[in-house]
Amino acid sequence: MNRRALLLSGAGAAGAVVVGWALLPPRERLGGVDALPVAAGEVALNGWIKIAADGAVMLAMHRSEMGQGPHTALAMLVAEELDVALASVRLFDAPADRLYGNVATMVASVPYFHPRETEPGSETAPARAGQWVVAKIARELGINLTGGSSSVVDSWEVLRVAAATARARLLGAASIAWKQPLHELVVANAVISHPSGRSAHYGELAKMAAATPSGEVRIKRREQWKLIGTSPPRVDVVAKSNGSAVFGIDVRPPGLVFAAIRHCPMLGGRPGAVDVAPALALPGVDRVVRLGSYGGSTAAFAVVGKTWWHAERGAAALAVDWQQRPAGALDSAAILAALEQRARAAHGDDGGFAFHSRGDIAAADARASRHVEQVYRAPYLAHATMEPINCTARVAGGKVEVWAPTQVPGLARAIAAEAAGVAVDAVTLHTTYLGGGFGRRLDVDVVGQAVRVALETGGRPVQLVWSREEDLGHDFYRPAGVTILRAGLGADGLPTTLRITSAGDAITPRWMERALPTLAGPVDTPDKTASEGLFDQLYGVPHQRIAHVATQMGVPVGYWRAVGHSHNAFFSESFFDELAHAAGRDPVDYRLALLKDAPRHAAVLRLAAERAGWPGFGLSRPLGPGRARGVALHESYGSIVAQVVEASIVAGKPRVHRVVCAADVGTVVHPGIVAQQLEGAVIFALSAALYGRIDIERGVVRQTNFPTYPVVRLAESPTIETHLVDSTRPPGGVGEIGVPPLAPALANALFALTGKRLRDLPLAL
Amino acid sequence: MEIFVNGAARQLPDALADPGLPLLWALRDLLGLTGTKFGCGIAACGACTVHVDGAAVRSCTLPIGKLEGRRVVTIEALGSADKPHPLQRAWAEHQVPQCGYCQSGILMAAAALLARTRRPSDAEIDAAIDNVCRCGTVPRLRAAIRAAAATVS
Repeated sequence: MNRRALLLSGAGAAGAVVVGWALLPPRERLGGVDALPVAAGEVALNGWIKIAADGAVMLAMHRSEMGQGPHTALAMLVAEELDVALASVRLFDAPADRLYGNVATMVASVPYFHPRETEPGSETAPARAGQWVVAKIARELGINLTGGSSSVVDSWEVLRVAAATARARLLGAASIAWKQPLHELVVANAVISHPSGRSAHYGELAKMAAATPSGEVRIKRREQWKLIGTSPPRVDVVAKSNGSAVFGIDVRPPGLVFAAIRHCPMLGGRPGAVDVAPALALPGVDRVVRLGSYGGSTAAFAVVGKTWWHAERGAAALAVDWQQRPAGALDSAAILAALEQRARAAHGDDGGFAFHSRGDIAAADARASRHVEQVYRAPYLAHATMEPINCTARVAGGKVEVWAPTQVPGLARAIAAEAAGVAVDAVTLHTTYLGGGFGRRLDVDVVGQAVRVALETGGRPVQLVWSREEDLGHDFYRPAGVTILRAGLGADGLPTTLRITSAGDAITPRWMERALPTLAGPVDTPDKTASEGLFDQLYGVPHQRIAHVATQMGVPVGYWRAVGHSHNAFFSESFFDELAHAAGRDPVDYRLALLKDAPRHAAVLRLAAERAGWPGFGLSRPLGPGRARGVALHESYGSIVAQVVEASIVAGKPRVHRVVCAADVGTVVHPGIVAQQLEGAVIFALSAALYGRIDIERGVVRQTNFPTYPVVRLAESPTIETHLVDSTRPPGGVGEIGVPPLAPALANALFALTGKRLRDLPLAL
Repeated sequence: MEIFVNGAARQLPDALADPGLPLLWALRDLLGLTGTKFGCGIAACGACTVHVDGAAVRSCTLPIGKLEGRRVVTIEALGSADKPHPLQRAWAEHQVPQCGYCQSGILMAAAALLARTRRPSDAEIDAAIDNVCRCGTVPRLRAAIRAAAATVS
């Protein structure tokens, strides 16, 4: 096996993996014994693992905990290989170093390969070459990013190897110290012992281990796992049940003052005349700070006060003559109309960027017995993380200290340095717990703002917190999209041609400009996230052209949980349901007929159908009166999910009673967290499917708070079942994969119930 | 001004203790009790739920001027490390929290419910817990609350 195969495809995961230094040199991803800062009594064994004086294993935690469970799952990988209890692994913030960059997300996002070209173990030569180059670049750039459902995918090999290497060094040290052969040593719960009676805990051996070569390192075989595949309590559950978990909004450095903010209500607008006197006259208000654009934000004023409420009162008292952006006021209805025009024009003349083409679509279309063509639409959406957007910063003596609930600590550090006018090395960044992320915290606008405000507070730390109204009004929204889908059906009712043309803003080039400006290019390259879930679907349609028209409508757009998949799955899986009905076929049977070359997908679909009691599959379960089922299947982030939704109409509105999820996520590290994520994704996606829309009129977002941007609460929440396929493949993503199938499964159920096909989100009867 | 929180009288600095100051900000920014969260500011999401004289109240819209003679309990005093509240044990057993941000408010709403209704029905649970949770932990709440109810004698 070569190194590339190990790092990129995880091909070694199925069997015993022997890793020597030659295969995985430390400069790649393990780091040397000097990569980590150590306190008194601690010893670093590589760039990931330290051993404390009491023998505890300390793990450099490089991924952000926003509920999706990396603090638990990644600690499990290390506990497994080091033979310690999960509870005894202590986490500390990974330092700012390229070592902690996310390779998997970049490899998954940059080249536009169809999944058939990147199947682990049978990649095409161009796909192998492309992924190798991107992986090299990703390692050189070393961007620490929690997103793309990649924490376990990216860390699966490196953390287990890091822990196994640490264990090998500790064993080697014991062997040398006691003059006993390695194979006679026994490890249990951080204690190494020998039948002769010698024993020592990791802390006693660590110093010597650091100077002991690891020799040949072997990670455990699947059948040796004790922890991986089980569901121990999450490491954060106690702190998150007693109020002690520290989110960004909870840090309290001495001398802290608070800041509230008012952005120009019109997106992209700017302030004209301003009168700050009424704000400054209020008690508890200290100062007003004018803010330009930071990391893509709209211009704003921050008001500093003794409590956040005093600051917010001050912000409300600002009298500002706000001006529209020079390019004219934004309007979401006009944008949707323009997107439809662009999509129609491109659909007719092979326009847009074709992410996937195969066969001869024109010739095959001429032979089709009939065609189905439909237009689907999705609105802008906000993230609405429960923890409002915030950042705490202190600037004193040329140093900057930042506390941020961020998905991108390195980029947060960079914008903090820029805002303060200091070198990046002068910035210390603490990543707190994130009260939800969903992609919103891949942006660092608030970090730049907070540091700018902290320049004005005389060395005192300041905590900038946006109100919910500022959050909904100044998000980086999921882009609105219009997609035209056209299929030619053969005599058997199965599609022979598929032409999809979507139009919408590309996210990645805009995000690069504002969050990673040093890498933003002079022209936009095609953004795979725009077409993901359309160009890469695996239904066996021989002639295809799947294209996207990238627009720049001016609304700030960002990554929203499941990104392109979140709406593209709605378009695709609703449309295939339409085709099944056009062919007079059962929607599950019809899909299975198109999945003859995709056995994993077919197995997931069958499992969902069986567990849901779909007629003809397993024990079919009759539905109550007034209820119907809908199904959808979607692959994202290397995992496959099928959902069957059972719905009815209550008081004229859709009501979901039961959702059965089946998933193939490859090897499961923590089944309990996978179930949590799938359940949570169903609720998140159901909120969007039923209620989610951001409307912009005259530049202003109409939705202001939860009453106008509603989400599903307990009384509306369905029963959710999750079923996982047994798999020995390397782990796939988990955090986002439950989102895409929900909206189409619900729309398909509502069609079965009412005969009405809903092609616009949110779903309204 | 003085407010009575978690069993003790707490002094608030006169210069900042405006009677209109919502309890949420007195707790978080003046007393350092950060377990109670800010989510919406208009009593629409429940992240800021505390107990006032035993009832679940959304502290983001409750002015401290209305607290004279009333007892406030926050998440910090719901249980202790040695003696967690039955709900906190159920939360661990059912692995409820994800990001965890809304959980203080949900726990306080659930605790107030169990204090007045020993064996709540699903409908009573649904009515009492209309908190917003963006991670979607709500499907686990009914079972966790019922499990806690079963252990409260």
